[in-house]
Amino acid sequence: MLARVLRIAVVVALLGLVVTLALAFRRDPHDIRTGTVNKPAPAFTLERLDGSGQVSLADLSGKVVVVNFFASWCLPCIQENPALVRVYERYRTSDVVMLGVNYQESRENGLAYVQRMGVAWTTVADDDGRVALSYGVFGPPETFFISYDGIIAGRHIGPIDEETLVTAIEKLRGQASSR
Amino acid sequence: MNGRVLVAIALLVLAAALVFAARPHEATTDERIDQITTELRCPVCQGLSVKDSSSKTARQMRDLVAQRVREGKTNAQIEAEFRAAYGDWIFLSPPVASWSGLIWLVPVVALAAGLVLVTGRLRSPDAPAPVEPSATQVAALRERVAREEAAEG
Repeated sequence: MLARVLRIAVVVALLGLVVTLALAFRRDPHDIRTGTVNKPAPAFTLERLDGSGQVSLADLSGKVVVVNFFASWCLPCIQENPALVRVYERYRTSDVVMLGVNYQESRENGLAYVQRMGVAWTTVADDDGRVALSYGVFGPPETFFISYDGIIAGRHIGPIDEETLVTAIEKLRGQASSR
Repeated sequence: MNGRVLVAIALLVLAAALVFAARPHEATTDERIDQITTELRCPVCQGLSVKDSSSKTARQMRDLVAQRVREGKTNAQIEAEFRAAYGDWIFLSPPVASWSGLIWLVPVVALAAGLVLVTGRLRSPDAPAPVEPSATQVAALRERVAREEAAEG
């Protein structure tokens, strides 16, 4: 009797393991749903990278905000930049705001990168890294999609492509228009 | 003075010193910072705590912890702030009351299952006692032994 129960327990445990692994392997490794996702975006006010004033997330309320953490020393950031540029051009006159947060580097280097790479959207300096920590950033590049009501609806770790950006933005714009 | 009395006094003094050293006391600011950063995982390292890492991210996390301690936040409040950003992953030892806590539960369950198995085996009926051979079998065996001895002999 005991041996039978144990045999069943082993089979159930193995089945559980297989199901867990199958579900885990199906997930997109860039889509990490821990911490801040589906929660209100942590508020912040940061200085513009070029020193021309401050930007507050609260001022962008009611818009779809794409927050991209980047650095000039980060090669995947350089890799994803053309997609960001195209998406910015596509939405520049819409209700979508793109915001670049410079991560762990001097303003001088960050500003030089922005000018060199044709980054026309607003960029800010996270000098002490507090904003990155409050968003649970592991390292650049990371992109957060904030809905019109200030909730972090999605997060992408690593270089992002145009299709992923547009899909995430359109999903949030769809929610905004169906309000 | 008797030697035994001296030894007893020495032992008492030693015990009192140990009790004094181990007495509960309010942790200093530095002790609290060390305590919290020892439990936090450095997000850009391989299995290193924030306290042990020299990375810039770990340094920024230590600064944040120090600031929160100075602001009068409790350890639980500071840990909750990091949990809100990174989830339970940010702790090197996953909390027991979470999915990650299964890591603590599984060995206990496995041990309990092993104990149940061993106890079950020990309680199971013993092997059947050897049966006494019948008079006929004894006679047949004696005859065989005698035959073999005669053949050798």
